[in-house]
Amino acid sequence: MLRIANGHVHDPARGVRGEIVDLYIDGDRIVSGEGFSQDEIQRMETIDASGCAVMPGGVEIHSHIAGAKVNTGRIMCPEDHYEHIRTETACTRAGCGLSLPTTFLTGYLYSQLGYTTVFEAAVPPLEARHAHEELMDMPLLDKGLYTVMGNNMLVMKVLSDPDSSRRRERLRDLVSWLLRASRGYAVKVVNPGGVESWKWNNGAVDLDTPTRPFGVTSRRIITELAEVVDELGLPHPMHLHSNHLGEPGNVDTTLATMRALEGHRTHFTHLQFHSYAKTGKGRFTSGAARMAEYFNGHPEFTCDVGQIVFGKTLTMTSDAPMEFKLHQMRKGKWANCDIEMESGSGIVPIVYRPRMLVNAIQWAIGLELLLLVDNPWQIFLTTDHPNAGPFTAYPGLIRLLMDANYRQSWLDRLHPRIKRSTCLFDLTREYTLDEIAVITRAGPARTLGLQNKGHLGPGADADVAVYPLNEDRAAMFSAPRYVFKNGVMVVREGEILQSVEGRTFTVEPAGGRKLPEDLAELFAQGYTINMANYMVEDEYLPRPEVVPCK
Amino acid sequence: MIYWGCNPVESHMRHLSRYSARARGLFTPEGSKSRKVVAIDVRPTPTTKNADVFIQVLPGNTFEIATVLRALLKGVGLEGADEEMSVAGVPLDSWRKVADMIKSCSYGVLFFGLGVTQCRGTDVNVEQVARLVQDANLHTRFYAMAMRGHGNVNGSNQVLAWQTGYPMAVNFSRGYARFNPGEFSVMDMLARREPDAALIVATDPGAHLPLDAVRFLQSIPSIHLDPHCNMTTPWANVVIPVAPAGVAAAGTFYRMDNVALRVKKLVESAYPSDEEVLKAIKEKITHAADR
Repeated sequence: MLRIANGHVHDPARGVRGEIVDLYIDGDRIVSGEGFSQDEIQRMETIDASGCAVMPGGVEIHSHIAGAKVNTGRIMCPEDHYEHIRTETACTRAGCGLSLPTTFLTGYLYSQLGYTTVFEAAVPPLEARHAHEELMDMPLLDKGLYTVMGNNMLVMKVLSDPDSSRRRERLRDLVSWLLRASRGYAVKVVNPGGVESWKWNNGAVDLDTPTRPFGVTSRRIITELAEVVDELGLPHPMHLHSNHLGEPGNVDTTLATMRALEGHRTHFTHLQFHSYAKTGKGRFTSGAARMAEYFNGHPEFTCDVGQIVFGKTLTMTSDAPMEFKLHQMRKGKWANCDIEMESGSGIVPIVYRPRMLVNAIQWAIGLELLLLVDNPWQIFLTTDHPNAGPFTAYPGLIRLLMDANYRQSWLDRLHPRIKRSTCLFDLTREYTLDEIAVITRAGPARTLGLQNKGHLGPGADADVAVYPLNEDRAAMFSAPRYVFKNGVMVVREGEILQSVEGRTFTVEPAGGRKLPEDLAELFAQGYTINMANYMVEDEYLPRPEVVPCK
Repeated sequence: MIYWGCNPVESHMRHLSRYSARARGLFTPEGSKSRKVVAIDVRPTPTTKNADVFIQVLPGNTFEIATVLRALLKGVGLEGADEEMSVAGVPLDSWRKVADMIKSCSYGVLFFGLGVTQCRGTDVNVEQVARLVQDANLHTRFYAMAMRGHGNVNGSNQVLAWQTGYPMAVNFSRGYARFNPGEFSVMDMLARREPDAALIVATDPGAHLPLDAVRFLQSIPSIHLDPHCNMTTPWANVVIPVAPAGVAAAGTFYRMDNVALRVKKLVESAYPSDEEVLKAIKEKITHAADR
């Protein structure tokens, strides 16, 4: 038994708002403190958390940390690693990398920020085995991955069926099969139809553009996948990266996408990249206010922000056409991969500069969204690592949210015309510690459907982060005093004490045991591997945990 | 499809039938009939014989060829060029035809092999070829793919990359990974006579490395793990026979295009797997260090 005593507990899921409460841990679970005698409490191992904020372990909802494109990025950009080196210690391995840390280092870095659960944001089923291999080498975290489906040939084939009820039933079965094949946790959709369209050398797609070869539209892909995700009762809603990422004026597309999905639970990812407006003269400007206004009226939706961090990083996404456009602008390194029947992906290095107007506006949009969306349970802190910046920037971002004066001080560092494009510097809202606890752990855990994460109630996983209270919130959140993973103290005063292995979350939705004959035939015609070699084997998930569907 | 400086008919036996020239795809049901194949090489090979267009070039001109093709694709004038000009011993007009084929196809792939990567200019050639393919993407979809050598060499690249950040030529001597091809690659290390012991796993330096390098390796203690008797076995100080991977030992295999596949254990072997041997050695070293 372990007691974390005298800390200010921030457990927003249970309405605990900084009160001094003792926390009791038995093995890898949090237990109720009621019923222990004074004598028993005396005999428990006690961690003194006075002067500290005690929160559930952080839950990362969207990060690119493992798999084919991440590793290709590592290989493509050794210059990312040279200056960011960790030597080995008694319990940690050596590692390197800033925006693309090696797998072990990724585990250590997240843990040193108080995070204990992380989800890899985009994995096509064909690359899932590779992603799971990397996740096996990522200690200190519970993990899972999202299975990319928005440009999957089998999905589009099923969706081309004119009979709507048969279509729905077959899609449900196929989604279930793809999740089982890839051992994925959620349905991810990236630029629906757009990636496939680009493979045919055709242009970008709107909601109602039919895509070759089956003539299915983006609207049909997202609405029907969202319906099927609801019907299967998957713990996490459809995780959507909508069309036209990064284009000026895309806020219209994003809002149209949201209207098409009204009434369905949907998670809109890196919303910053999708909230760009255009002035009458075609100038790039913020659409965050319009986006937040709409979002505030739709509690069925959640989003993560994808906040820009100034500096060097790598963009990497399944949205291959977007990466190609970025490459045309930057002319530097570019990697691209068409993933057979399933998806695409691209990688381009990038630098975000405060003096560059576009980058400054992007930076402001993310913060505007965070400050204008009223309900913190609907918006979560991410940098779409590493696309908008590395996750190691979270403490600095938290300071921007909690300290309005500090935020104002940024005005001088940005492009002089920034104020014309954003209302950020008129906003005075400051996040509270409770709200930070929501956007970094309680909110993501709830949206992910993880019952035992993101709170500190009896039965919760004993993943706890203890931060020393400090008015400088960046300092506070960058060096937790203690981090507990499954009841084991893994970080003390910023140092890793031991390396424990986490679990991999998967789902087992109904149906999907076998592909129907016509789809199996399409598989045989199109894939370079046999179906027998497609399904990810048990060997790649040494500690799986099936999260039940509703 | 362009094969450049590679001969997969002899080096990657199932490549043409399963993955490239003759493969039947969902949108190319007629296989080789639905595509055009160009081969660029310094001599005729079984691969060039199978191509629709074979361009025999003079050796050592990879960079020049790629540069001219880039200029043709971008419509940039070539200074001092006239219609009589030849590049790598081939008239400009032939290169213009290749450029036109690149521009007009709906989906192209360039496979390049040791002929591109190991001739004079090495990495500079590869960069220029990659730039060529980037430029081709201004007109159509185009891909480049390196024709790699030994089985699962990509597996070691991938694992090293996610564990150390770098795919090869990794030096651990300072307690963290350092990467510098040309300094820490096998040949450079051996040329400087730097190693004082060698652990050789699943490769045959006796057959593949230059004689001087082999002589040096023979002069230092060496441990060799291999399922077969090869040209390293006779002189290695310690030889540990292992079960052949994918036959008598299971594991993960990374295909040339980075797709990870599970290889199964099909038969029993009297020998342990590479993994078991390496784990046992590591445990003994740790145990000795602890004492």
